[in-house]
Amino acid sequence: MSQDTTIRRDDAGPASSPPSGRSGPGALLAGVWRASGNSTGVLAGLILLVIFLSISQPIFLTWGNITNIVASNSVVLVLAVGATFVIIAGGLDLSTASAAAVTGMTYGLLLQHGQGALVAVGGALLVGLLLGVINGVLISYVKISFLVVTLGTLSVFESAALVMSQGKTINVFAIENFKPIYNITNGEVAGIPYVLIFDIVLVVVAALVLRYTTFGRGVYALGSNREAARLNGINVDRTTLSVFVIAGLAAAVASLIQVGRLTGASPGIDSTLLLTVVAAVLIGGTAYTGGAGGVGGTVLGVLFLGVIQNGLTLSSVSSFWRGTVNGVVLIVAVALGVARDRGWLRLNRGKKA
Amino acid sequence: MNANTAPLVEVRGVSKRYPGVLALDDASLSVRPGEVVALTGENGSGKSTLSKIIGGAEQPDGGVVLVDGAETVIANPATALKLGIVMISQELTLAPELTVAENVFLGRLPRRGRFIDWATMRTRAREELAALDVHVDVDAKVADLSVELQQEVEIARAVSSQARLLILDEATSSLSEHATERLLELVREQARRGVAVLMISHRMPELYSTAGSAVVLRDGRLVGTVPLPATPESQLVRMMVGRELNDYYGSRDCTPGEVVLQVRDLASADGALAPTSFEVRSGEIVGIAGLVGSGKAQLGMALGGAVAASGEVRVNGTPVALGDPRRALSAGIGLVPDDRKRAALLPTRSVAHNMTLTWLPKISRFGVVSRSENRRVREAIAEYGVKTSSPAKLITQLSGGNQQKAILGRIFALGCPVYVLSEPTRGVDVGSKSQIYALLQRLTENGAAVVIISSELPELIGLADRVLVCFQGAVHGECSGEQLTEVHLNAIAVSGRTHTEDFGEPS
Repeated sequence: MSQDTTIRRDDAGPASSPPSGRSGPGALLAGVWRASGNSTGVLAGLILLVIFLSISQPIFLTWGNITNIVASNSVVLVLAVGATFVIIAGGLDLSTASAAAVTGMTYGLLLQHGQGALVAVGGALLVGLLLGVINGVLISYVKISFLVVTLGTLSVFESAALVMSQGKTINVFAIENFKPIYNITNGEVAGIPYVLIFDIVLVVVAALVLRYTTFGRGVYALGSNREAARLNGINVDRTTLSVFVIAGLAAAVASLIQVGRLTGASPGIDSTLLLTVVAAVLIGGTAYTGGAGGVGGTVLGVLFLGVIQNGLTLSSVSSFWRGTVNGVVLIVAVALGVARDRGWLRLNRGKKA
Repeated sequence: MNANTAPLVEVRGVSKRYPGVLALDDASLSVRPGEVVALTGENGSGKSTLSKIIGGAEQPDGGVVLVDGAETVIANPATALKLGIVMISQELTLAPELTVAENVFLGRLPRRGRFIDWATMRTRAREELAALDVHVDVDAKVADLSVELQQEVEIARAVSSQARLLILDEATSSLSEHATERLLELVREQARRGVAVLMISHRMPELYSTAGSAVVLRDGRLVGTVPLPATPESQLVRMMVGRELNDYYGSRDCTPGEVVLQVRDLASADGALAPTSFEVRSGEIVGIAGLVGSGKAQLGMALGGAVAASGEVRVNGTPVALGDPRRALSAGIGLVPDDRKRAALLPTRSVAHNMTLTWLPKISRFGVVSRSENRRVREAIAEYGVKTSSPAKLITQLSGGNQQKAILGRIFALGCPVYVLSEPTRGVDVGSKSQIYALLQRLTENGAAVVIISSELPELIGLADRVLVCFQGAVHGECSGEQLTEVHLNAIAVSGRTHTEDFGEPS
């Protein structure tokens, strides 16, 4: 495939970046396209966007810029993978960004108090798990609506993060035990960032869990029809608890990447983070009503929003526009999904018949 | 027949193509004022498509629709409504949070100037309902009414909107026998007043008691139009299925063996089922009859662990924990609930994933689903006769009969000692029904103890060794042998006791 790309590049001369974006991975993309199902729309949008940016911004398709997109979107990706489980199961975790602030703070404080690297990481993961358990138990066993619970914990976690450090940012750059996380989040092997490798492993594992485990099947069944899942032997309460625990762990992992990149644990929360995470999942074709979708689509959703963001930056558009763009993309993507489900986009089907 | 009046609606040579299927192929029919036409055929034969085209919900790819003799394009349901074509389907279209009166006049509320004339609306609604002999408070919220009453309100709305053609699409499938009879009487009354009626139903007795002719479709094509009730049922079924259905309910070659299921004083926590006791033997089918609200549905739910309950249930002598579907399933009680959409289907999942849902503990090791999954699904699809182009197809794209076969198949494949099947053939066509009966017979021959809860008495009489009848939340009688007739079952279901004499055998 790479040879094919090279030949084309030679033929086409200097203005060659767009074809190389299209034809090289073209055959691969055709396969992905067929398998993409609900996320076909965002895949098409992403390809068009990449082609457009490749033409208009020469810097876009450079390796440096691509690794930059990966690095700056890994936090969103990890949170979005967790959120995908929750949304497929028919729920929503509004507290995810706040939970990440608490776990990041935990990690920073443990380091500050001279704890070892493993203890600090383990502590952050444990706290993430605990926050997930709090959400999960209130929702599955106390039977309070997930909207109410996570709206409440959104606020509680947010304030807890502030209380923990009296509102101050903990600078961890100079702490020796911070080095392992710093090296992992910022290092690379053979030009490939460790974070990219981690992201790929995470996504593949999550996709396999959803597709090939009884737990994954239970998550889909729960979001598709709760009563049918219950009557057919799915442990509804435990599955609900589990997806919120996964979201809590995802928040802890995301916060480690965040601290690693920023070399400091901040109690403040990026107010657009939650929206970006949920938007990425929904744009990726996971149904907000549950029961359909997957992490593959979520990756596309994260990439789509990340590439748009990158394009805006490269085009020197004010970052104030980011929220507007994300919001519009979300509504359009979900509207296209609704239109498809209701059969308003018949063109394709007519031809097939 | 009624050749002297011109047809109100006529369909000529209509065809309709969906992706991969020709749903209708050159189909024709006509309905005259005052005529009741039954539209019959198996699931997937094109009846629903044809009725949707007449109701404006679908557009034909070819052919014409004539209303009052003039070629008409029925662009949408609103246009159909203006032409006096009203569709009543199994799924109600009432607004549950509004009152009965508001629903009857929904979309055409009487006004005085710019304001709604509430007083007139209520008076007129009361008159309309009284004329139809429907006794309901016009100020009651629709959501608080029983399904039967909601259906009657729906009919009242259709009638009061001066319907000229009523299309009943399986309108009776969720109603009790009594409510069905009331509804059919309303329909016949409307026909006498000159309303044309097109009815779709899988229940033969309804068609024979109400319709004057039957249009038979098969695979989207018109097989023929025959007069009713003059045409024998066997001939009509043959036209629908395309072959002889000799042995509709099938038969089994086995005698009941050991007692497998023992039920002692089983009662549901919500009080809908009073303490009930009975036993079912291996190789035996026990039917449960009763009106809607008699507790028969709750009995199935309690046995399957779907609702909280008290009492004692034993399978092969081992007590089963109540109120937990997982425990009931692992103890060997396979439940198929009556409401497929609400409690059985995963609408967003494939046929394969719907079927494997129940098998997950059996086909997985350490929480990972075995590779044998695809093979098992293909085998089950073949064994239980589920018609689908691929196991990966969304289950909601299958016909109702095939959805039901997939749901039954996933439970039957477990090989449970006890099966509790609630309305196993609701909304299923004759061909699929016969296949389901054959599956049940085979299951029983293999030694299962089967409990069938059904509103269709012929089905119970055709399948069961004996039938228990529920009345006001408790089992009030048992019929078997010579006593197993519709007359006996109905008598107990309506009054709680038989009018003739006491039963010979104690229950």
